[in-house]
Amino acid sequence: MNKNFTPKIIYFMCNWCGTGGAESASAHHLYYPENVLPYRVNCTGSLSTVLILRAFIDGADGVIISGCHPGDCHYEDGNFRERKRVATIKSIIESLGLEEDRIWFRYVAHGEGKRFVDTTTEFNDYIKKIGPNPLKERSDT
Amino acid sequence: MRGSVLPIENNLEETILNFIKEAFDKKCIEAVILPKRIPSGDSFAYLLIKDKSILEGASPFPPVIPVQGAKAISSLTRQGSVKKKILAIMHPCEIRATIELFKLKQTTLNNLIFMSYDCPGVLPLSDYLENPDENDQTFLAAQQKWDSKDMRPVCKICTEFSAPASDLHIGQLGTDEGKIFLIPNSSVGKEFLNAFGLNSDVPLDEWEAEVEKLKKERENNKKDAQEKLKTKVEGPENLLETLSSCITCHNCMRVCPVCYCRQCYFDSDAFKFPPDNFISKSEKKGSIRLPSDTLIFHLGRMSHMIHSCVSCGTCEDACPMDIPIAQIFNLVADKTQQVLDYKPGRNIEEPLPTVTYQEEELQEFEKPYSETYIKVEETNV
Ligand code: SF4
Ligand code: SF4
Ligand code: SF4
Ligand code: FES
Repeated sequence: MNKNFTPKIIYFMCNWCGTGGAESASAHHLYYPENVLPYRVNCTGSLSTVLILRAFIDGADGVIISGCHPGDCHYEDGNFRERKRVATIKSIIESLGLEEDRIWFRYVAHGEGKRFVDTTTEFNDYIKKIGPNPLKERSDT
Repeated sequence: MRGSVLPIENNLEETILNFIKEAFDKKCIEAVILPKRIPSGDSFAYLLIKDKSILEGASPFPPVIPVQGAKAISSLTRQGSVKKKILAIMHPCEIRATIELFKLKQTTLNNLIFMSYDCPGVLPLSDYLENPDENDQTFLAAQQKWDSKDMRPVCKICTEFSAPASDLHIGQLGTDEGKIFLIPNSSVGKEFLNAFGLNSDVPLDEWEAEVEKLKKERENNKKDAQEKLKTKVEGPENLLETLSSCITCHNCMRVCPVCYCRQCYFDSDAFKFPPDNFISKSEKKGSIRLPSDTLIFHLGRMSHMIHSCVSCGTCEDACPMDIPIAQIFNLVADKTQQVLDYKPGRNIEEPLPTVTYQEEELQEFEKPYSETYIKVEETNV
């Protein structure tokens, strides 16, 4: 693990559960790595594939997406829509030999402050272990 | 499966054209859509033919696909269904794309009867244009011998070359010399053959066996070709090198039958940025290529439509830079369609994966959480 490497991590979270998890963390004074940049979307179902790809190709070392648990999405099936998009993107990326594991999808509920913080830390450690995203250095993407 | 037998008079092309003329006479159809050589002689175009004398010299089995047939069909039905019975003869991949366009609500299929055939493949468009006369001969020989050596790379590995979800299918494989099978492939196809006065009671075991055999062969070819392609495109280095000659003309998107959007996202204002954005990026990276965003265009396009990609190769034919773009899309489509458990054009009733969602699917894409995750080291943030 490169100790001097501070990854840039984009964390897409839905306005309801995902963000609620982050708020619970702050209410309990739990800390998450400050190189994780939260980015709020109304529902994960509204997060387009191109936005995830933009992060993946253009500067992030890793991308996490968190929405409501199954059955809890505030727009019925937004989380399942997003899961399918994530499945699509990860399959595309994997079949071209790029690193699909730089993208994670995990549900986090309102009140699950610990789960939110654990997720950020676990992902952060994982990305540090695998090193910087080679795409972000490239000028020809 | 059962079908009818049609004797070949002189050659296959003539037989089918005569069959269509007879269908006109018997009032089974009122018009037909099929390719005909353009007046300059070096390419082909789809024609909607009402006057059957224009069928003379038409090419139901053209050596190239300059315009994907699904585009021809959707241009016809943009403002609603056709009211007259029309027979359309197209390659299997064109029919599969038409079915995808139907599911995407970009075409209506009422009164259209689709006829497909066992497809030997077509030649690369740019190769063909270099010497049409000579290539007509090359194609004819390849077509007769089922030899795909000169055909397009995606044709060599096409496993869906026979009976797509069409209404009528022409079976050429496994027939005795001088005969073809006419296979009803839907209730519309059955009605058509009945009205034409043909019984479909001949068993098709030999055709089915030959189709299976060729399918296996093509599957093996595909495995080999994909392994070979991977050595050229896999990983950031290889992929960016392969795409480095891309001039971002977006031709591949414009000719793609399933990229139907009237305003493509990647041509829209949502995909344009202020100058500072580029300058800050070039500050970080030292330089950036202009125009930018080649990779995100290709991967983003895939993320929009790869589930419906029928590997028809039209994008590759249209690429001015000889990028193996359809082969790359085929590689990605194979994997993604398998994950989404969807095959484009397989079944008109099967919903697009982008409109149905189940709770219990794709759970392998959720990252499992373990309560006991322990932070690696406190000190390295
Ligand atoms: S790339 Fe996407 S937005 Fe553009 S035409 Fe294709 S599907 Fe539509
Ligand atoms: S991406 Fe290429 S191969 Fe796939 S459907 Fe579009 S034109 Fe055909
Ligand atoms: S047609 Fe070829 S050069 Fe043009 S955008 Fe597509 S891949 Fe690039
Ligand atoms: S509102 Fe949270 S995922 Fe839809």
